[in-house]
Amino acid sequence: MLRPLLLLLAATVLLALLPLVLGPFHVRVGLSMFLSAGLALSWYILGGFAAYYSFGHTVFIGIGAFAAALSRDLWVSGHWAGQLLLGVGSAACVSAAVAALIAWPILRLRGHYFTIAMLAVALVCAEAVSAFPVFQGAMGVSLPNIAPPGMRVERFYYWAALALLLVTVVIAMLIARARLGYGLYAIREDEDAAMMLGVPTTRLKITAFIISAALTGSFGALYAFNLGYITTDSVFRGALSLEMIVHALVGGMGSIFGPIIGAVAMTALTKVALADMLEYHLAITGLVVIVVVIAAPEGLIGVVGRWRRNRRHRGRNP
Amino acid sequence: MSTFIQTVVNGVLFGGILSIAAVGFSLIFGVMNVINLAHGVFVIGGAYAALVAWSTLGIDPLLALPVIMALGYVLGSQFQRHVMQPAVRRGNPVAALLVTFGFALVVVNLLTVWFSSAVRNISPSYAFVNLRLGDLSIDAVRLVCFGIGLVMIAALSLFMRRSRLGRVIRATAQSELGARLCGVDSKGVYAATFGVGSAFGAASGVLIGMMLPFTPAEETLWTVYAFIVVTLGGVGSPAGAMLGGVLMGVAATLTQTYLGAVYTNMVMFLILLLMLLVRPHGILGSAFRASR
Repeated sequence: MLRPLLLLLAATVLLALLPLVLGPFHVRVGLSMFLSAGLALSWYILGGFAAYYSFGHTVFIGIGAFAAALSRDLWVSGHWAGQLLLGVGSAACVSAAVAALIAWPILRLRGHYFTIAMLAVALVCAEAVSAFPVFQGAMGVSLPNIAPPGMRVERFYYWAALALLLVTVVIAMLIARARLGYGLYAIREDEDAAMMLGVPTTRLKITAFIISAALTGSFGALYAFNLGYITTDSVFRGALSLEMIVHALVGGMGSIFGPIIGAVAMTALTKVALADMLEYHLAITGLVVIVVVIAAPEGLIGVVGRWRRNRRHRGRNP
Repeated sequence: MSTFIQTVVNGVLFGGILSIAAVGFSLIFGVMNVINLAHGVFVIGGAYAALVAWSTLGIDPLLALPVIMALGYVLGSQFQRHVMQPAVRRGNPVAALLVTFGFALVVVNLLTVWFSSAVRNISPSYAFVNLRLGDLSIDAVRLVCFGIGLVMIAALSLFMRRSRLGRVIRATAQSELGARLCGVDSKGVYAATFGVGSAFGAASGVLIGMMLPFTPAEETLWTVYAFIVVTLGGVGSPAGAMLGGVLMGVAATLTQTYLGAVYTNMVMFLILLLMLLVRPHGILGSAFRASR
């Protein structure tokens, strides 16, 4: 546990120093890499560990974003760190509460039915936020800029996203080594067998769901702060749900670093390499999804692992 | 009272369209246990094909319908053979969902680039004829489309019951291994099933294009509608799709009239969610694999 933690700390320090040498555009790319990586990893806590594929996780981005925006009275004055913590914290709490409310009925469903039920939850919540004037979803809500005076806005959010990503990675690493993680693996392999052997499947699934929702909501709040102005359509987007899944799959579903690698690779591809082809952005994402599912079902990590195994194998038997 | 009857009549007519949009989805789901997230793309693609036929070639959408269905069949069966088959064979449990979602993204993007994201509609000369029956007023196009939809659903039902290919499809749905032992080319059957499902999706798109305005991004809505209809009515059976569609249509128009148009989609999605939680195999849950 110590070595990976030290490596993680070193990587974080290195990444935290990068904005001092990079221009604003690249800092923004880094920021969106951290946001996508964090979202993909939050999704992975349920989707990867327990193989409960949620197709509607954007619901927690939306809830987190609106929770942060509508709780503005709580945090609108004060120190910037307090503002950030209160905004993100209220998003995490509201997301976790909503998740706790729907967890039991939703998690009774398995496979396709869970996937589609989450899609339905996302659609219902999006429609509700638009339809009821309390949420101001149709008109949109604006968030004040909370970056401390004198600091470049993109740098502030870059560091905030990096910090939240670090928290998420540590939580995921802890889960992977705790009883919760092993229980979720057992559910992924064979839920009925796990239940028969005494694994408290329902409780573990609900715990993972709530943690995943709280983290997704926190990133949703940060996303909203960074956007500055949110509407239902900008935060309850089906494309966001899909991106979380695609990043996890492109990276590889075997390890918690899969979603991060996938998010970084896909963001680099779409934001930097294809920056001039914005029109075909969706089509390319779609093609990448199809190609990955057919050609590399184990993701980038799987491809690299296979290549290394092959090389070692060849080295032994010339 | 007359408002109520008018609302119900409108709901039934709208429901007929929902049924025909869902029946292809239901077939694919029932036979292959695949949730085809690209179904809406075939629906909207059908609408755009009809638009091209009507506005640039000057062909009546209803005359173009068989050609568009044939195109849908070819595209659907090729997609199944060359994309779905390898993905499902190699991939993880949600491979089919992801591949169909990816395909939907590609097509929506291309449609947006070609046709822009503006709202389009098809209005042939007879589009604004209204039939009056006492207090009731019925849109002629909707009635005609409803009739065509009914005939097509009946034809599909007959095809599945009586024809040789229909029997083979049902046999493969019950047990792929068993069917293969009897000499059935299951890959070919799956390709044909996907083709028929897509053809019905495209045909419903033609009818929808004549009644409602449409945009490329609406494909998601039609996929979800199909899913709601199927979870309501029951997977795999044309009768289930018919029942689910009519219930859905009436629920939608009643909400629209008595609660307000903003709540229509919310109520429909809530019905889907409640159905999934209470009785995921639908009111007429059939003996197909996916519903068991």
